[in-house]
Amino acid sequence: MTQITRRDALRAGAALLAAPAIVSQANAQSAFNWRRFAGERIEVSLTANPRSQILIQNQREFEELTGIRVGSEQIPEQQHRQKFVIEFASGRPSFDVISISLHVNKRQVGRAKWTADIKPMMADATLTAPDFDFQDFGAGAVAYSTQADGRMDTIPEFTDYFILYYNKEIFQQANLQPPRTYDELYETARRLTDARAGRFGFVGRGLRNANVVLYTSFLLGTQQRDCVDANMRLLTDTPDAIWAGEMYKKLLRDTAPPGVAGFNWNESQTTFAQGRAAMWLDGVGFATPLEDPTRSRVAGKVGYAVVPAGPAHHHCAMFGTGLGISAASNERKRGAAWLYLQWAVNKTNQLRFLTSGAGAPARQSPYRNEEAIRTSRFGRDYFTTLIESGRIARPGLPEIVPVTEFRDTLGAGLTNTIGGADVATELRRATEAFRPVLEASERAS
Amino acid sequence: MGASKRQPSTRTMPSGLSDTAALQGAAADSARRKRAYARHYWPFVVPAAVVVFAVIVFPWVFTLWMSLQEWKLGSGRSFVGLANYQRLLTDDRFHWSILRTLYFTALAVVIPVVLGIAAALIFNRKFPLRGLMRTVFILPMMATPVAVALVWTMMFHPQLGVLNWILSQFGIPPSMWVYDQSTVIPTLVLVEVWHWTPLVMLLVLGGLASLPVDPYEAAKIDGATGWQAFRYITLPLLAPFIMVAVIIRTIDALKAFDTIYVITQGGPGTASETINIFLYLNAFAYYNMGYASAVVVVFFALIIGLALLLLWSRERFKDAVR
Amino acid sequence: MSASTMRRRPLRRLLERIGFAFAVFVMVSPAALVFLWMLSLSLKTEIDNIAFPPVFIPNPPTLDNFRAVFERNDFLNQAWNSIVVSFGATAIALAVGIPAGYGIAKMRATRAAVLILIARITPGLSYLIPLFLLFQWIGLTGTLWPIVITHLVLTVPIAVWVMIGFFESLPAELEEAALVDGATIWQAFRHVALPLARPGITVATILAFIFSWNNFIFAMVLAGRETRTLPVAVNNMLTFEQISWGPLSAAALLVTLPVLVLTLVAQKQIVAGLTQGGVKGA
Repeated sequence: MTQITRRDALRAGAALLAAPAIVSQANAQSAFNWRRFAGERIEVSLTANPRSQILIQNQREFEELTGIRVGSEQIPEQQHRQKFVIEFASGRPSFDVISISLHVNKRQVGRAKWTADIKPMMADATLTAPDFDFQDFGAGAVAYSTQADGRMDTIPEFTDYFILYYNKEIFQQANLQPPRTYDELYETARRLTDARAGRFGFVGRGLRNANVVLYTSFLLGTQQRDCVDANMRLLTDTPDAIWAGEMYKKLLRDTAPPGVAGFNWNESQTTFAQGRAAMWLDGVGFATPLEDPTRSRVAGKVGYAVVPAGPAHHHCAMFGTGLGISAASNERKRGAAWLYLQWAVNKTNQLRFLTSGAGAPARQSPYRNEEAIRTSRFGRDYFTTLIESGRIARPGLPEIVPVTEFRDTLGAGLTNTIGGADVATELRRATEAFRPVLEASERAS
Repeated sequence: MGASKRQPSTRTMPSGLSDTAALQGAAADSARRKRAYARHYWPFVVPAAVVVFAVIVFPWVFTLWMSLQEWKLGSGRSFVGLANYQRLLTDDRFHWSILRTLYFTALAVVIPVVLGIAAALIFNRKFPLRGLMRTVFILPMMATPVAVALVWTMMFHPQLGVLNWILSQFGIPPSMWVYDQSTVIPTLVLVEVWHWTPLVMLLVLGGLASLPVDPYEAAKIDGATGWQAFRYITLPLLAPFIMVAVIIRTIDALKAFDTIYVITQGGPGTASETINIFLYLNAFAYYNMGYASAVVVVFFALIIGLALLLLWSRERFKDAVR
Repeated sequence: MSASTMRRRPLRRLLERIGFAFAVFVMVSPAALVFLWMLSLSLKTEIDNIAFPPVFIPNPPTLDNFRAVFERNDFLNQAWNSIVVSFGATAIALAVGIPAGYGIAKMRATRAAVLILIARITPGLSYLIPLFLLFQWIGLTGTLWPIVITHLVLTVPIAVWVMIGFFESLPAELEEAALVDGATIWQAFRHVALPLARPGITVATILAFIFSWNNFIFAMVLAGRETRTLPVAVNNMLTFEQISWGPLSAAALLVTLPVLVLTLVAQKQIVAGLTQGGVKGA
């Protein structure tokens, strides 16, 4: 084991210095042997979302190409995030490939070195297909997948931006334009709310933990923008933080359907798809079912726009997912897993993500594919929104280890405000409760 | 071995086992011989003792040791003494989880016990299809909690759930069920009541079957009403059975996890975060193994008290229960 | 008695009967309705399932939801895991629990009984942390063993507890006669007590099996993809895309059906086991 690790480390060092040269050398090689690990079997554990659905539906392609058998599954995200950490910690994870929400688990996985560094494998011409074209990945996505110590322990799969979904029909009837600022958003939502008729101006996450990313979307528009400062000190009880909290409270309290305190994105999606909410602020990857006429009453009527601007800045919250290879798997399985990763994020699959509304791919080439975009069932405004969001994107959660605890603590306070609790009090309480946890965690690293 | 067994005095021993009075009344000599006799049965208990030690006693001891460590899954471990317990003293979230657990427990004991007594009185009478009705009634008790919880989740949906439609048929405005902080615990209690009222019913029904007939005949002659007979004869005679039901319900309500976890995961906010959920999140979502272990120890102490109560009452009402 | 009360009597009796029938209805219908609604959801199309006002009778009923369950999620594999775990945990519990119940009953070992009782009422969750770390340490994770072993936490105490009660209630004369005739303790147990205890063993088997089958928390934390049991699998079926109530209900129904059938068949034993000493599962 130690020998392999040392060799990997050496390779990583070499790769850092000479990556372009090796890539071009790989390109020179004509016949790449995809079937090198034929007969191997790998387990793939994914978070349940539209991207994973696409990968699972098409995995036969990979099996036929490589002769590797793939056992894959998708698990609801909150359970998945808890579960894979436990499995890694047990020392014998039941998977070889794992999808990791970088905004939640990046530093935890990096600190424990649970997933293998991909750079040395990418540098190995016998392991990496010549047409993999790593340069195609956006610099931001690559940076997101790279740890502070230079290891790249996931391959970027997709980037998620918060966007504004709005119901064009409702907006036309009321003769309104999509809001450009959060204050306008609130005013518009209030005007469009008719609780008696069961129609609401806004819907969004109220559920503890999940709701924090909606809150940080508002926070990103303030002067302070982030939840922590450069020294990893919490900034969640400042005047800016309270402004964002008040926005959150009044939007969900005054203009969202009753019961929203228990809504995650899927309940919000259902509400919006039924035409019961005029606007919905959430991740770009949840568009697919909205445009499916058998499931949605708003198919063809959905407008897409970048999130509104705050009083000081204009950013949309960004999240990222990467695919990692379990460091606990043996070398052959790791090789097979690397082939799977190359297939999973190849240009075809990344284009599938984009054109089916499943999320913003990490590669840049799909956005340049004019023909695919023209024939997609999504309107032009969907793709413009995506590209514009990419320009104003900023991480929606702090890069800390105890993200789940952070989201639970702050999220519970936010949910309380929907019930009428005072924003400043709740934020102060949450901040005080979480501060020692964060300090202890930062000391440990 | 064989010789001691053939002693005549042992002949009466086993039947006297369940009879405390007889045991107490026995001569000291006889008692010593019984103990000597009983000692030969220890090999029967060895396999179970090994298993119990490995999967039950060892975890208790290990938990105690872990509660003195700062132990984060994926990071290191260090001895911190009583720091975890100190943190529990000042952790508002933990205090609230205790209060919530007590609130949940109080409701989840009282309601099933009251309904269970009522159901037992009903099923104690003879009526057509009684066997079938009773079978249907006790089905919830055995149903897989997770599977049923998922169905309840669908029924609680504020816009599409069948329960709000049923309410609307009676002209009652829709409830937010588990989607509102003020209704979530009563709603979870509803599921608990649905699950466990049958058990209370069975315990009380057993009690009703053992009631003597004479007092009722006497009461009838004295002109007592049905309610008076229930209040002054049935209820006092049933008291031991109700007592057992109350204790069992208390312990089970304290243990409740599956339903709450599946339906709300402690939400909205922390409105249904009981000790069990708090414990689970700390251990398996935040990976604070040391801190979570301290929670287990405190929770355990709470439950031991109730365990002693249960055992005491079991001894006290033993014959009545059987 | 006056003539007027005589005349009122039939009416009062009728009213009483109606009231009683209503009370029976109110008591029994929640139990029935939840299961019927589960069945209804599992037999309807997705459109009917989220219709409001709700559609009660599937028209026409569809088996698509059940087909969907069997097609995805390795349902059969998970069912097999559940069977292996439940039977394994029950078999081990009986193997150690029957002799232990006998020994404890004969020795009148109150302290051992207390230990079993405390184990019985401790929340299962509290065993999970130490056992998880133990399995990690001895490298058992990734197999079905950790799940079987953790389920012993449920099954051993219930088996021992039921058997103590049962052996205590057995008449001792036959065994004693055997002992007087020169049999060893073991022979007396094997040939006299054990056959007599068969009804008690049935009760212990059924309850241990049901508790193990229904358990969620242990497998949720300890099981991987290949070792997942049914309750965990069904909880994982909550999908990302809107609401998918049909397949979820179908799966939920399939998971709980075996225990419902068992309850119908073995009602008498279950009632006896649960009311004796009054201890039930986690």
